[in-house]
Amino acid sequence: MAKLFAAIDVGSYELNLGIYEFGQDRMRIIDNVKYRLDLGTDSYSKGRLPADKVEELCRILKEFSRIMKSYHVSDYKAYGTSAVRETRNTKILLDRIEQRTGIHVDILSNSEQRFLDYKSVASKGRDFSKTIEKSTAIVDIGGGSIQLSLFAKDKLDVTQNMKLGVLRLQERLNELDATPSKYEDILEEMIGSQMTVFEKLYLNGRSIDNLIIVDDYVSPITWARTKDSKTPGFVTAERFMAFFERIREMNPVEFCMRYGIASENLNQVYIAATLIRNVARTLSVKTIWAPGVTLTDGIAYEYGEKKKLLTIDHDFEGDIITCSRSISRRYLGDDKKEQTLENICMSIFDSMKRITGLDKRDRLLLRIASILYDCGKYISLYNVAQSSYDIIMATEIIGLSEVEREIVAGVVKYNHVYLDYDIERTESSGRGEEVYMRVAKLAAILRIANGLGKSQKQKFNDIKTSLKDDTLVITVRTNKDISLEKGMLEKRADFFEEIFGVRPVIKQIAKI
Amino acid sequence: MAKSMDDPNNYWNRELSWVEFDRRVLSEAKDASIPLFERLKFLSISASNLDEFFMIRVASLKDMDNAGFKKADIAGMTPKEQLKALGQTTHELVEEQYDIYGLLSKELNRIGYKIVDDTSILNKKQCEFIDRFFEDYVYPVLTPMAVDSSRPFPLIRNKSLNIGALVKSKTGDKDETEFVTVQVPGVLPRMVEIPGDKSGKTMILLERIIERNFERLFLNYEILCTTVFRIMRNADLEIDEEEAADLLKEIEKQIKKRQWGEAIRLEVETEADERLIGRLKAELMIKKDEIYEIDGPLDLTFLMKLYGIDGADEYKAKGHTPFPVPELPEGGDIFGAIRKGDILMHHPYQSFEPVVRFVKSASTDPQVLAIKQTLYRVSGNSPIIAALAEAAENGKQVTVLVELKARFDEENNIVWARKLEQAGCHVIYGLVGLKTHSKITLVVRMEEDGIRRYVHLGTGNYNDSTAKIYTDIGLFTCKETYGEDATALFNMLSGYSEPATWNRLSVAPLWLKERFLYLIGREKEHALAGRSAHIIAKMNSLCDPDIISALYEASAAGVKIELIVRGICSLKVGIPGVSENITVRSIVGDYLEHSRIFYFENNKKPEFYCGSADWMPRNLERRVEVLFPVEEDELKKKLKHILDLELKDTVKAHILTEDGRYVKHSLRGKNAKSINSQMQFWKEAETEHKNSGTKKSDTDVMETRRFIPEEHK
Repeated sequence: MAKLFAAIDVGSYELNLGIYEFGQDRMRIIDNVKYRLDLGTDSYSKGRLPADKVEELCRILKEFSRIMKSYHVSDYKAYGTSAVRETRNTKILLDRIEQRTGIHVDILSNSEQRFLDYKSVASKGRDFSKTIEKSTAIVDIGGGSIQLSLFAKDKLDVTQNMKLGVLRLQERLNELDATPSKYEDILEEMIGSQMTVFEKLYLNGRSIDNLIIVDDYVSPITWARTKDSKTPGFVTAERFMAFFERIREMNPVEFCMRYGIASENLNQVYIAATLIRNVARTLSVKTIWAPGVTLTDGIAYEYGEKKKLLTIDHDFEGDIITCSRSISRRYLGDDKKEQTLENICMSIFDSMKRITGLDKRDRLLLRIASILYDCGKYISLYNVAQSSYDIIMATEIIGLSEVEREIVAGVVKYNHVYLDYDIERTESSGRGEEVYMRVAKLAAILRIANGLGKSQKQKFNDIKTSLKDDTLVITVRTNKDISLEKGMLEKRADFFEEIFGVRPVIKQIAKI
Repeated sequence: MAKSMDDPNNYWNRELSWVEFDRRVLSEAKDASIPLFERLKFLSISASNLDEFFMIRVASLKDMDNAGFKKADIAGMTPKEQLKALGQTTHELVEEQYDIYGLLSKELNRIGYKIVDDTSILNKKQCEFIDRFFEDYVYPVLTPMAVDSSRPFPLIRNKSLNIGALVKSKTGDKDETEFVTVQVPGVLPRMVEIPGDKSGKTMILLERIIERNFERLFLNYEILCTTVFRIMRNADLEIDEEEAADLLKEIEKQIKKRQWGEAIRLEVETEADERLIGRLKAELMIKKDEIYEIDGPLDLTFLMKLYGIDGADEYKAKGHTPFPVPELPEGGDIFGAIRKGDILMHHPYQSFEPVVRFVKSASTDPQVLAIKQTLYRVSGNSPIIAALAEAAENGKQVTVLVELKARFDEENNIVWARKLEQAGCHVIYGLVGLKTHSKITLVVRMEEDGIRRYVHLGTGNYNDSTAKIYTDIGLFTCKETYGEDATALFNMLSGYSEPATWNRLSVAPLWLKERFLYLIGREKEHALAGRSAHIIAKMNSLCDPDIISALYEASAAGVKIELIVRGICSLKVGIPGVSENITVRSIVGDYLEHSRIFYFENNKKPEFYCGSADWMPRNLERRVEVLFPVEEDELKKKLKHILDLELKDTVKAHILTEDGRYVKHSLRGKNAKSINSQMQFWKEAETEHKNSGTKKSDTDVMETRRFIPEEHK
């Protein structure tokens, strides 16, 4: 029997409910209900939603709940994005929504949201796999910002958030009180300055074949005009440029009629099209693909992935790791050392699995921490802990929530300095005991691994770990002298033992 | 130089064209080859149509004229000019109606049905009967009203029959006359049978019984003169939806107000006293040319009641029972049948029962999760409403869009809406400013392999009564593309955003007009490129200037265009260089032609569409309408056959001529063949039924036909 799932996106200017059916290893959208509600304007400017908006929001969510019941959905996931995230009274708001509608809404960080958007593209299956076989970029255009991501060898490599969202740009144009004839020049300047930085930082002469666009403005038009073709959603870059010319030249009324755009959205379509044109030009793409996906597709896809309702070929965790390596490279990280550290961390994590209470997600966070373990050296060799923490906290890591990013930053920090017990007492981080303990446990593992991988000679490339009673035996196959590592381990083993009640010991076996 | 397509000379005024349509209905009453009672029915329909036309269209023109609106229509006529032309033509039409009434009443007399219009011809026994009838039944419900300085002129209700009189007090000032009036009660039958006529039936109209006993109502007065009179008021609802917090209540309020609209037409008897007419004219503020002197009984809609009386079967056309749809045999699994492939139905030749069964089955089927339906006009005691209510009670999610604004059905719809709400249905009242005219039902079912959506799309309303007298097309499908669109449409009607794209449906007012213009334009391009191009379109009315202009351009490019337009047609045929390739025919027969079918040849890759919309601005711009393609080859063939046969009709088809008249086919020639498409469809449905070997139900026997006001304004 098929399984029905509901995904809700409480977006900045639209509420979206998707009803999905899972069965026979496929996902199918059954119903898609959208309701325009501008939450963003109030949230961004005042940090609060006025009472009538909250009322309306609850009314629609209640209505969504009714629709969900009508389909007998067995599970749901509701997410609020930037407009909800940026309210100052988020927890109060979410509690009120849950009390009034029975719907529990979680908050997505920008990077989680973008990762889900990315997953929504991946939900397109074959089209996605085929597209990323070639060098590809994704531009995900939101109201406040855009996310531009590059693929390398079918893995997400670089992803960068830029404050070039459609509504934000529109607001700036309004502030400048520019006449429409000046729009293009101003937009080009605003977009161009950030794109130049991106180009310098990440492109390095790379050529990109495909550009995937995720947006609510140009994608629906592209999709509508190509849906009956052999390759729905795909257009050549030339055709897109010709479309852009038409926006420029055509009478606005005629344009809206022809492309089915509400006249109040015309400016946004124009801004989005300008953005896409600029990105396409900078990257010299040949093909543009508008898969016509929404965040709810990504939410459902992720649900299918977690519940094993879908066979997913693509390694999304691999994407997060690749992006983390890319961040590390930016801060001159040492690939080889990171790799050694990562291996030791993973080996210890897996051996300790039974007693740590940590899960698969924590394993991923530890992997990321082992990649970014001393990125702060780029800023200060003296104050690596704090610098690393600051870098990580200031860098979006795709696919991670705010809390998870903070965990990674904390793990990296307490790799270098002793755990701050005061935080435990005061809970000054505001994240609670559970998070504190996760940081402590992961940091304990990283510290041990870091001690073993301290030298630049990668002596610990060939290790095995096993848990025997209250001892963690780390067996290393090497003929090299490991006195330094043994010494380092001694210093760090106390902390490890304090956390887990297990003493790590090194057993050296000579290579024959 | 090419002729300008939007030259006013290229268009007929839509109101005058409508009068032409009513004349075509009337011509059926004139046709001696038709059974007598059928002719009475057509006469009644033409009278009822005219009433509605006055209340809506003439009223609207008067509103425009009163507001000083001088903009000309596509035919170049201002409201004032239109009113003037209509005044003349409707007077002629009414005269023609009563000429025909005269003829038909003689025919009725001949076969023993007497309608007494003058009580002086009755014998003593008959007079005693009607006086007793007055005493027992009529007198208790009458409210005589006098007008004098202390009693103002009373409210004369819209469309009600009244008897007005000038009276003189037997005791007071001998020269002072007073006006008195009494409403002929609507609660009593208009026609009363006087018993004892062994050779046939003698009937008298209620107003004549009251007139005979008029003095008993005003005992202290001398009756100087009387006349039966009737007024028509402006009945177009003016609802400010933005302001109306509760649409249901606002419509109820407006229906009451309809009784108070400005008087726009006064009917009096030919013999009425001039002083009496003068008094009515002054009190009702009506102009001379708005007064219709009637040579016969006012309000001929009573003839429909006469049609319904028992015992005149030999003077009526043979009734038909709709045949079962072969693909949907009674008692069969309707969902299973639809899964086998799309099913096209042609009503009334094929039964509407499967549509009712579709909703009924869904209401009790444990696998059905939700039912969604639009309701525009439903029948009294509708089985569909009952099924929807039952579905809600069975825990299904039932969403019903009740269009409260369906003209003249508003009251009816309010009742159903409340009933459905009480049963637990989610009742929605459509979109502000737009009437929801689309006819669509969606059933969502959870099956073994997941959700499957079943959709019914139609050209006619979900009204099992009208489905027996209106010709319509219905399509059942469970194709995913249609299901997705149907889901999106209901979301949109529920106030949610429209989808980014539609798979199959074209929806007004979003894209439907553009779609039609594109399809017409594509034929034009084919013709210009020397490829095969042909348009056949069947609808109720055609008056959208953009569509007509596109048709002219296509015609000028060489596209053959055959139009079957039952009612209004503002398009002119035979204009050199503009519409020489266009023909227009109107079929007015026993069954109201109501289906909308569109054929575009598309260079030998023909496309067929059906839908709820006419080619009128109101349908394309101010209503929610749905156009759906019919994609299966077998079903396309069926539609083509329907169009082809209607194009061959020589009995009920009226052909539009260059001068705007409609003429019937001449059947005199040697090769002339008599083809009545509606009768032919019956025969074909019967043959198809026989060949299919399915059983015909006797529960679907044709009801006595009763006229239901048609939605043509």
